[in-house]
Amino acid sequence: MARMLIVDDENEICEFLQEFFEDKGYTVDTAPTGDAALRIVREKRPDILLLDIMMPGKSGLETLKEAKKILPTIKVIMVSALETTDKIETALRLGADNYITKPLSLEYLESEVKAKLAV
Amino acid sequence: MSRTYHEAIRDMSHVMVKIKNPSRLLKIITRYLYREMNISSVAIAVFDEKRKRYVFYDSQGSRRIPKSLVKIDHDNPLITWFSRKDARRVPAHDYLTLPRIDELLATEVRENHNERHCLRLTKMKAVMQNIGACACFPGYHKRDLLGILFVGEKVDEAPFTDEELMFLQVVASDASMSLMSAWYQRALEEKVTDLEVSLSIIRGMRNKDKGKYLQTIITLANAVDAKDPYTCGHGEEVERWGMLTVGEMDVHFDNDRCDLLRCALRLHDFGKLGVPDQILNKEGKLTIEEWIKMKDHVKIGARILEEHDDFKEVAKIILHHHENFDGSGYPFGLKEEEIPLEARIIAVVDSFHAMISDRPYRKGMSYDDAIAELKKHAGRQFDQHVVDAFLRVLEKSIRIES
Repeated sequence: MARMLIVDDENEICEFLQEFFEDKGYTVDTAPTGDAALRIVREKRPDILLLDIMMPGKSGLETLKEAKKILPTIKVIMVSALETTDKIETALRLGADNYITKPLSLEYLESEVKAKLAV
Repeated sequence: MSRTYHEAIRDMSHVMVKIKNPSRLLKIITRYLYREMNISSVAIAVFDEKRKRYVFYDSQGSRRIPKSLVKIDHDNPLITWFSRKDARRVPAHDYLTLPRIDELLATEVRENHNERHCLRLTKMKAVMQNIGACACFPGYHKRDLLGILFVGEKVDEAPFTDEELMFLQVVASDASMSLMSAWYQRALEEKVTDLEVSLSIIRGMRNKDKGKYLQTIITLANAVDAKDPYTCGHGEEVERWGMLTVGEMDVHFDNDRCDLLRCALRLHDFGKLGVPDQILNKEGKLTIEEWIKMKDHVKIGARILEEHDDFKEVAKIILHHHENFDGSGYPFGLKEEEIPLEARIIAVVDSFHAMISDRPYRKGMSYDDAIAELKKHAGRQFDQHVVDAFLRVLEKSIRIES
């Protein structure tokens, strides 16, 4: 089964989504910062990354860029609270595979993850 | 329902109606249910009108949903199942449990073979399972689905009893009522703050520019009119008739007193801003409690206006415009000359205009019937002199029109 990495500075969100995807059979790691995320990308080579756009420290966009450099095959879905199209556009240009805005529909998130992994 | 549940419901609704802060209310409900009912998790999704979606605001227990992370769209099958606008189907129970969905699915597979219905039920089940719920309870305001209460299984894993399900449904219904009133309260506070700001602007303006000052009062009065579709235009008419009436009376009002009267006539229902819309626009008779709230409008109006120096005198008049000449009115039961003359004038023209206007629960009276009513109550409910003057005004205006 696919390996997933969830990156969000809010621990609660990481925990909730981790449990959600573990129930669906995924192997899930979480990281609270961009730097921690990149370490896991190097070591565990996840198939898919759920990446918060707004994070303190290394931003979601920088993390995205570096993650794609380390592991070009990794699928990335950006998670954003702001529906700021400029950031999302940049993310898509930097190689993000899709984005989802908070509050999110769990059913949609799951189907997106499945779809991206099937490509 | 057993006594303990009755008591619990009573306690809860007592607590709920007192909480005016919507998010605190939701927090208290989830905490209470989680603590008292031994449920593994409790979550509430609330309608976000602007975006047409239901967002999870609060949750407790295992698989706690972080606030504002998860939504359910308004066209999700679980939402349309509960939405009463979906006229195709009348739900047998308000609430829905996972075993019930399984039952419906089995029936569908066995008897109807309708793939679309099966898919719909499967999607509903997925929504519930994704947030760890095994039962959900809709909360309505009128016909609108305001929110849904989701609960996980009981800690001892026993199935919910009918009594427990009923209890949770009542909680969901009570909660939406309280939520509605909390929202309303908040909106009202904002409105009053806005008004206070406008009033202080008016105050500064009064001396500088009299024309502009009156214009602002009219704007304010229109805001009151707009709240009640049935009395739209009422303030204007009352102002016109009231000013004509005082001109017909054997009294002399100097310019300042005329200004005060004009302002009071125009703003006499100002306090209706503080009466809930559902009471103002109710179709049918008011209950005693509603009537008490309705009567409060004179005090609310006076209270807001009296805080501003320029409106102190106006506030005094407005406060008494529902007093009756014989002492049977409200709020203080003043009589005869105890009631300011301005208030006695408002009482007559306001009542007359109300009688001839259509209301949600009745058609307006004819002029002749309304005049007969005024005559009948002159000297008792109304000041005879004011009624006489007002009738002369009406006679003249009818003569001019014909």
